[in-house]
Amino acid sequence: MQRPSALGPYQKQGIPMLDIIVCFKWVVDEAFIRRTSSGDLDFSSVDYKISEYDRNAIEAAVRLREECGGSVTAVTVGPPEAAKGVKDALSRGPDRAVFAEDPLFGGLDPSQTAAVLGQVISSKTPFNLIICGEGSGDVYSQQTGPRLAEFLGIPCAAYVQKLTVKEGRVTAERKVEGFIEVDSLPLPALVTVLPDIATPRIPGVKDTLMASKKAVIKVGKNELTAVPPPLLKTKSVRAARVERECEKFTAEVEDIKRFVAALQKRGVLK
Amino acid sequence: MAGVWVLGENREQLFELLSIGRSLADRYGTTLVAFAFQDAQAARDCIAHGADRAVVLKYQGQEGPLDVFLPAIVEEVKGKDPDMLLIASTYKLKELAARIAERLKAGLCSDCIRLVFNEGEKSVEMERLMYGGSAIQRVICLSRPAMATIPPGTFEKAEAGSGRVKEGDVDEIVQTHESAVTILERKVRERESKDIREARTVICVGRGFEKKEDIKLAEELATVLRGEIAGTRPVTEEMHWLPESRCIGLSGIQVRPDLYIGLGVSGQIQHVTGLRDAKVICAVNRDANAPIFGVSDLGIVGDLYDVVPKLVDELKKGL
Repeated sequence: MQRPSALGPYQKQGIPMLDIIVCFKWVVDEAFIRRTSSGDLDFSSVDYKISEYDRNAIEAAVRLREECGGSVTAVTVGPPEAAKGVKDALSRGPDRAVFAEDPLFGGLDPSQTAAVLGQVISSKTPFNLIICGEGSGDVYSQQTGPRLAEFLGIPCAAYVQKLTVKEGRVTAERKVEGFIEVDSLPLPALVTVLPDIATPRIPGVKDTLMASKKAVIKVGKNELTAVPPPLLKTKSVRAARVERECEKFTAEVEDIKRFVAALQKRGVLK
Repeated sequence: MAGVWVLGENREQLFELLSIGRSLADRYGTTLVAFAFQDAQAARDCIAHGADRAVVLKYQGQEGPLDVFLPAIVEEVKGKDPDMLLIASTYKLKELAARIAERLKAGLCSDCIRLVFNEGEKSVEMERLMYGGSAIQRVICLSRPAMATIPPGTFEKAEAGSGRVKEGDVDEIVQTHESAVTILERKVRERESKDIREARTVICVGRGFEKKEDIKLAEELATVLRGEIAGTRPVTEEMHWLPESRCIGLSGIQVRPDLYIGLGVSGQIQHVTGLRDAKVICAVNRDANAPIFGVSDLGIVGDLYDVVPKLVDELKKGL
């Protein structure tokens, strides 16, 4: 993958071809998190998945390639177990993957993730558009994308729900309070996308077989200049409680009458 | 120098940040500074509402992308060394905050809903939701300044005090850079049709229903209450008894109706997360130990097939 610069010559010729990077994260599937009777979080039976937001981002990247030509590279930072996610990502259509892998990469804060992604992308993967999910399904800090844009020194638009690429620029319809703002950014650029951007495909058997033949470039921690120290420290993670005082009723008609009266008293019957 | 700095897109957001900002500034023993975009009057009002100083970020010419202020804000922080930056969690400011944080190499707590001052360490512990709202993460920033984005509506607005505003309390920082981004247009958002997010009453179908046809029981209740039908994940995404667009919870949507009634809903955290903000939560479940009762205001312990017809009758009498 030898390319002179991030902005390929085809851009100048006006040929709509794109080298897209899509970032994804392999996360705990929160549907498997249970709460113990004492109210603690139980991770004993959890499974992992590609963060939902990122599945839609991958789909958006693949569709853009289908429209404009070019390539899609899926990039992730994670522990060795995330290899499953790399294969899953490739079965969704990207041409190749770059996997920054280290046992410590499971617990990075958003600034560290952005720094690792930034180093990997600038050394391994020419690009003119980076697509990230708006946030990850586990921590949902919504920082990695914008931080990565700053790390690479490229323009950024977050919370995008529609993307078009033409003549070296990307048009991004981004959600803001109360309205949609249509932005135009020169490439190379980074966008973070909302789930509305595209509904992910369900990979078939053939896609899965194809995925195992695609190139995966692994990058170890020793190949990076530095992983910066964390800027955030997690003191605790505990189950969120919804605190309500439950008044209980039986199924007897008299109790149902009391129940309806209670609803009336609370002013929720119209 | 030091200080607690707040940044918001409008007065309401700024006043909320000023109330939490004031309590933190007092604990740090420092000043409270408000930053407003373009609107000098909003900046002056911030002083009336408790800021010691206010800064207006002024565009050169017409309003544009917020990142034209990014270099100036970063310079201001580097020069004045505040303890903490509190920024309203709007779509645009979330992006700006992350970019400021990256340039400053500062830690940022996203969507912080609670801040606790640690007297011993003179640091602020911040809480936020994770795992789709099922867990609370408590973090500290290992950087200076500490940074947090705070969702509008999290704190009460600071009240206005009289006689606070003096001349010269409002500074101006003029845009120093251009943005690479051009804003082409602003469009009014189309409302999604028949969105259960808009419904005042939501009747939710859970796995306690034995078959798809029985959902008509829930529909009868919804008709009397003029509500919308929704479902849990098993009922929508797995059984496909209801469209996935009606799935409440982590993998679906968040609702905040006046009244939520869960029928045969067990109350897994993933589901409960989606109705946290409902005004009144009710549940009908034959299992008295179902977790849904722990998060309900009113609960009927009984078989929904027995309870719902009785409830419909009773409601018809009353309405």
